[in-house]
Amino acid sequence: MLEVYTWEPNANSGKPLLCLCEKQVPFTHHYIDMGKLEQFSPAFLAINPDGTIPAVVHDGFVMTESTPAMEYIDDAFDGPALRPADPWWRWRMRQVMRYMDNVVAPSLAMLASNRLAAPRYADVDEAEKRRELEKIPLPERRAAWEKLMFGKTPQADLDESARRIAESFDLFEDLLSEAPYLAGEEFSLADINVMATFYHLPQSYPDDVNDARRPHMMAWLRRCHARPGLQRGFGTGRGFITQRAADVRRLLGVEDAA
Amino acid sequence: MIELYHGGPTGHSASALIALAEKGLDFTSHPIDLAGGENHSEAFLELNPEGQVPVLLADGRTLTGTFHILLYLDEAFPEPSLGGEGTQARYAVHKWGKYVETHIAPNLAIARWAQLGGVADARPERLPPARAALWRQALAGFSQEQVAAARQALEKAAARVAQDAAATGWLAGAAYSMADIAAYPHLAQFHALGIALPAGAQDWLARVAERPAVREAAGDMPIVATMGPEPGRWG
Ligand SMILES: N[C@@H](CCC(=O)N[C@@H](CS)C(=O)NCC(=O)O)C(=O)O
Ligand SMILES: N[C@H](CCC(=O)N[C@@H](CS)C(=O)NCC(=O)O)C(=O)O
Repeated sequence: MLEVYTWEPNANSGKPLLCLCEKQVPFTHHYIDMGKLEQFSPAFLAINPDGTIPAVVHDGFVMTESTPAMEYIDDAFDGPALRPADPWWRWRMRQVMRYMDNVVAPSLAMLASNRLAAPRYADVDEAEKRRELEKIPLPERRAAWEKLMFGKTPQADLDESARRIAESFDLFEDLLSEAPYLAGEEFSLADINVMATFYHLPQSYPDDVNDARRPHMMAWLRRCHARPGLQRGFGTGRGFITQRAADVRRLLGVEDAA
Repeated sequence: MIELYHGGPTGHSASALIALAEKGLDFTSHPIDLAGGENHSEAFLELNPEGQVPVLLADGRTLTGTFHILLYLDEAFPEPSLGGEGTQARYAVHKWGKYVETHIAPNLAIARWAQLGGVADARPERLPPARAALWRQALAGFSQEQVAAARQALEKAAARVAQDAAATGWLAGAAYSMADIAAYPHLAQFHALGIALPAGAQDWLARVAERPAVREAAGDMPIVATMGPEPGRWG
């Protein structure tokens, strides 16, 4: 029995969802609505006391780290291999994922949550915000939420995140000029990891990611978006991510698989 | 033909040295003087622009990122297998590799710097922006809150080691693995920094220390107050 607790199919939540859809492994999807802070509900904290999503539970074995869970999914289930056979390309695959997990994705999350989530708290009174903060188990998550709720993310941090994202576009363009996928000739976990966070770039960063400036990234985005497995994965949402992925496919001229 | 640039048997470098010894691999050893700031020399930055050790040269390639070096060695040289026995153990190996990099090593670097004073000869101006910023912060001194938060995170890590090692004596499943090798050189520094280790974590340290390859490669581990991976910037 395989159960997946996630929000919409993007970022960390997207990693196991996209992975399972690529491998064609059936699973039960439990939707945890981050917009309603359901990740801090007692029911979910009973599964992951850290209060972060995703959680993947296979025959009672609980996994709460998304990138290690992707390695597990490829390891434990049949279906197309999502890790290259060559040890050096595997090393490359994991370095790309670490860079995404530790450097790029948090930078994007900082910018996006300051833009989208922070304004919701502008008129909420302080005591109410403090009560919300107390429900957050991980100290590092609590610190980030505190900055969001009280509008205290330093401008220098936002600027640094923007710099890191811009720098990553150069890096990915270079990597993808060497090989069609991030870990060589074949599609791998690294492509899934990066797609989960970057699938929307031609729409969200049109000046940086377009056919003239980043042709290799654009070709890679088209290759990935055309995959029936990823299309199914992006279809597991309840609304805006699923819609946005479909919009991006149209923008890229990629057809929906039957 | 394998070569390893390393800072001696301490921190991340010790993990790489232990893994090579466990695998019985011959290699050319290039010690880098971390206390003297040699990792920020022009020559070394040409090898790894981030200015960090260890760096492995194998098969004409240059590899960085300690945990991924460990997995590379395990996959390129399968005997004896150290990647975890079974799918659940292998998940735990990956989980620990990530936790060492994101929660243990960055906080250890801060706590250690605060306690021992840090590298005098640091030359952060040659480093890429993110590394340079971390070094400038270290040279200016970490705040009391930062140091307190780092020590708290390390106490939590010690508790996690005790918890995960409780069932079998090892961190990832029934056998000694790259999870133990990745975590050991960091946990081994806790005592000197006055960070309390529960009995289960102390026993685990002693168990790892007894392995012949660990005694051979890292029997005597100095502590060097250099920097480590960047602490998470956004939860
Ligand atoms: N992400 C690196 C971190 C390595 C690391 O932090 N090495 C320390 C020594 S244990 C270092 O070279 N510090 C010098 C510096 O940060 O400039 C890895 O996994 O290898
Ligand atoms: N456990 C880590 C981190 C997971 C994580 O941080 N997930 C985010 C969503 S992408 C989250 O749960 N955020 C909860 C929050 O913001 O409170 C992983 O699975 O990679």
